[in-house]
This record gives sequence, C-alpha cells and structure tokens, in this order.
Amino acid sequence: MRTIFELFGKSPFEPLAKHGQAVDDVVREVRPLLEALLAQNWTEAKAVSDRISRMEHRADQLKAEIRDNLPRSLFLPVDRGDLLRLLKEQDAMADAVEDLAVLITMRETRVPDALKPRIRELVAEVMDAAKTWMTISELLPHLQEAAFTGPEVKKVLDLVHTLGEQEWRSDQLGAQLGRETVLLEEELGAVSLTFIMRIGQKLSDVANHAETSGDMVRLMLAKG
Amino acid sequence: MEHAILVIAILAALYMAGNIGANDVANAMGTSVGSGALTLRQAVVVAGIFEFAGAFLFGSHVTETVRKGILDPAMFAVTGPLGHQGPLLLALGMTSALLAAALWLQVSTRMGLPVSTTHSIVGAVIGFGVLVVGVGGVEWSQIGRIVASWFVSPLMGGALGFLGFLGIRAVVLKNEDPVGATVRIAPYLVMAVGTILSLTFTQKVLHNVVSHPHPVWVALASLGCGGLAALVARPVISRVVGVNVGDPYPRVERIFGVLQIVTAAFVAFAHGANDVANSVGPLAAVVGIARTGFTMTPDGVPMARWILALGGFGIVVGLALWGYRVIATVGRHITEITPTRGFAAEFATACTVLLASRLGLPVSTTHVLVGAVIGVGIAHGLAALNLRTIFRIMGSWIATLPAAAALSAVIFVVLRSLFLA
Repeated sequence: MRTIFELFGKSPFEPLAKHGQAVDDVVREVRPLLEALLAQNWTEAKAVSDRISRMEHRADQLKAEIRDNLPRSLFLPVDRGDLLRLLKEQDAMADAVEDLAVLITMRETRVPDALKPRIRELVAEVMDAAKTWMTISELLPHLQEAAFTGPEVKKVLDLVHTLGEQEWRSDQLGAQLGRETVLLEEELGAVSLTFIMRIGQKLSDVANHAETSGDMVRLMLAKG
Repeated sequence: MEHAILVIAILAALYMAGNIGANDVANAMGTSVGSGALTLRQAVVVAGIFEFAGAFLFGSHVTETVRKGILDPAMFAVTGPLGHQGPLLLALGMTSALLAAALWLQVSTRMGLPVSTTHSIVGAVIGFGVLVVGVGGVEWSQIGRIVASWFVSPLMGGALGFLGFLGIRAVVLKNEDPVGATVRIAPYLVMAVGTILSLTFTQKVLHNVVSHPHPVWVALASLGCGGLAALVARPVISRVVGVNVGDPYPRVERIFGVLQIVTAAFVAFAHGANDVANSVGPLAAVVGIARTGFTMTPDGVPMARWILALGGFGIVVGLALWGYRVIATVGRHITEITPTRGFAAEFATACTVLLASRLGLPVSTTHVLVGAVIGVGIAHGLAALNLRTIFRIMGSWIATLPAAAALSAVIFVVLRSLFLA
C-alpha cells in the first residue's frame, strides 16, 4: 500500500530554484555595497555586509537541505553530478559576494575617482550576468515539467549563450580595471592596490560562477 | 457440519475482498488523486463502478487459475490418494488459504510492509497443498508460469510506461504548440482505452447474438465503442482547454487530467478483473465441492457467476468503508506525479494487467504500477525516483510466499482437526 508513495523522492528542482532566489537576494546587495565603498560610507558598508552575511548563511542552509535529499539511490532525469555541480556553482556566487563584503569592510580603502566609472561598469555587467543566471535558475522547474524537451529548452540554451557573452565582457572590464589600477600604483600604494585588484577579481568571480552554472545546465540538457 | 465450511469460506472470501478494496485499490487510484485528476469522492465512485465491472465481466480467467490451476485436481479427487476425504480436504484447504491470506494482509499492513494480495493467496494455496498432498500435488509448471509473470509484468509495465511517456514527450511536450497537440491526440487516446476495455466483454456480448462471433466483428465492435467514447470525450476536453495564452504546460496537464480519469477507470477495471480472484478463487473451489455435498471435486463444471459478483461487491464495500481513507493518505503524499505522467503509467499498468488477466495469470497490480512509474521516470518524466523501493518489493516477495504458506498450513491443520475428528 505504501509502496507507491515510497517510490517518489523529493524533487530537487524546486529547492534548487529556491536556493537560486536566496543567492539572488545576496547578489542584489553588490550594488549597495560597492556604492558604499565608492562613497567611503563605512557604516553603510558594514550594514550591507551584515545583511549579506545573514542571507548567505540562509543560502547555505538551503544548499545543505538539497544535498541531504539527494542520496545515490535516487534516480533523476538529469545527471546527479551535473545537478550537484550546478548547486555548488550557484552557491559560489553568494560566497564570492560575501568575500567581497569582507574585503570592503576589512579596510577603509580609498578608491580614486579615475577608477570609479570602470568599477561601476564592471558592477553593471556582473549584475546583468547574475540576472541572466537567475532567469535560467527559475526556469529549471519548468524544464522538468516539460520533461526537458520542447521550446523551453531552446529558450534556456539561448540564455546560457547570452550569459557566456556577459561573462566574457565582465572579464574584459575586469582586465581593464586591473590595468588602470596598476597605472595608479604610485598614488595608491601597495596595500590599496592589492585591495582594489582583489575587489575587482571578486566581482568577476560572481560572473564566472554564473557562467559555470550555465555550463552545467547546458550539459544537463545535452544529455537529456 | 460441513456446510459450516461453506459459511466460513464465504465470510473469509468477503473479508479478503474487503481487504483488497481497502488496500490495493489505493495504489490503483492514488496516482489519479495525487495528480489532482480526481477528487477523493470521484475516485471512490469511479473505482467502485469499474472494480466491480472488471471483477464481474473479466474476472473469470484468473479466478479459474486460482480455483483449480495451482493444485493437481487428481490428487484431491475421490479416485486419488486421499480417497473419499479428498474433496472435503480440498474445501478445508481453500478455506484455510483464504483465512491465512487475510491474516497475513492484516499482519503485514500493521508492520508497514509492502504487501501483495496476489502473492499472499498463491502462497497460501501452495502452503496447504504441500502439506496435504506433498510436493508432487502442486502444479509446478503453472506456479512457474505465475512466478515468471511476477517478474515479467512489472518489466512489461515499465516498457509500456517508458514508451508511452516517450510518445507523449515527443508528440506533445516537444511541440511548439503543446496544447494544440494535446487536443488533437486526446480523442485517440480515449479511443484506445475504450477499444481495449470493450475487447474484454465484446466477445461475450456478441455471443448472445451470434454463437461464435468472428474476431473481425469483435474487433470492429470494440473499435466502435472506442470511437463512441472518443466522441463523448471531445466536448468535455474542449471545455477544459481555455484560452491559449501564457504557459502552456499547466493547460496540457489539465487536459491530461481529464484523460487520467479515463485511465483511472481503466486501471480499476483491470485491477478488479485480476484481483477478485484472490478472494473468490478459493471460494469458487469450495462452492463447487459443497454443491456435491463434499463428495466430488467438480473440475469440469464452470464456476458460478454470482461468486464473481460477491467478490466485486466485497471489494466495493471495503473500498467505500476503509479504502477512501487510504486513497486520501496516498493521494496527499503523491503530488509529484502530474497527469501526463500519471496517464502514461496508468495506461501501461492497465494494459499489462488486462493482458495478464486474459492469460489467467494472477499478478500484483501494485508491482506493475511501480514498474510503469519507473518506466516513465527513465523516460525523463519524473523529478526523483527512489530505486530502493525495488529492493523493498523484492524483499516482500521473499517474505510473503513462505509466510502465507506457513500460516495456511497451520490453519489447515487446525481446521482439519476440527472437522475430521
């Protein structure tokens, strides 16, 4: 009698989308965080950093729950490894933002006005990439409904392609920021230089993890 | 004194049938309630009608197997090794089997084990048979066929479920216009179910008109019934379709929800046809013997139809009194199976179980359904399947057969001492 409902395991796709939303909450704080840095508003930076920390922890809890419910005996319509890697990369986006918050609140680093436009460009591109990833993440349960076939698949693959381009552009902008920062090394001093370089790298990391997540979706759909 | 045996047998059979209605039916109907295709009340009504119909119209094949196919009739005949006591002992044995199977169902349900009414009754019949006439008295080739069907039927359910959902995926889900595709194929799906269902009784109905109806007439009549069903379904479906905007998949699921009502009835019919035997097969043996005053084992005589009606009635009562609660529980837990998947799994299950019924093979509808659901899962239909369930099912096989056999033997010894002393 109970055989039938013992047969069904808990679907990982909705929890994955929920985790994506939690990560999105974290990633949305990047702009307020960077603006606080550029305005040298350290109280605001600390407040945003605290929010980020709380929300990143929540994302971690959701990640743990998903992993707890994915035993090896569970048969999935996609590769279990791909799914777990996707979860890891999606979570890494939130981790990168937390690292960013730590960097910014660790030291009251002054950012030269000359670098501010480039930084804002990089933030915008990274946020676009994150937004594209979030759109994909929300579509995963729909893909499962459609049994990983149909026009939804093409839509998602197109988004993954767009994400790839956005990540490439953010890499470009990150490299440019690096070059421009180095040009100001005399004015900045070694420590500020290092911090600004690290901040730039962490921003790019958010986009990189988004793109890798997109790759996992591409793999999942290719096998399907 | 001997007629007390008949009364006990009837009561035991009714009890078994009630158990089947209370437990088994939930598996047949649970997926339809869980997916939202049927409300609990609708499920009980549909199940009630179609379980009885299946039992009465198509239950004779499997019932005959349980009645006289498992044990060698010659062993219990007056001319056999048991002499004049043969028929009485057979009647006692069949009654013990019923009591044992019913008892085992209670025990394993209480222990929370996955249980099969089919395995229980077959094990119980073998149990007393081996005790009375030894290993030679059992029709091992028939047992072999039956056990083989226990392996083959879930696999067949799986294959059909896999192919069925692959078909739905290719024709509907892959389509640019899934709703349109669904509306186009829905009548054909209803027709398929209607035709197959009709095949089960068209021959008998035509038999009243023409003594040996030609297969072509049977086929045409069945197709006619199927077509009629499709025509009736068409307006119902178009009412559900709604406006073609936004996300198409919820609407596809709603249309398949209507189709799943059809397959739910289909599964209930198939289940009734196959499982009624688990309660009335042994009873039919006892009735046949009682009719001769316990002096003969009448194998040549066909079984009385009222026995099937009695079994069907027992199933419906069990379903109405207790089964609805189990369906509610099962339905509440299974929300992962949407109508498109449920349809594929139920269609596969019903076809397999009906085929087994036609061949006179008692199979476990639950196990076939599990196979079908796994088949759908392999076709990428389901989000997560717990494959450990397969091991639990195999485990229950290993437990049920000897347990039911042992119980049956023990009860038989008790009854024999009571009635032969």
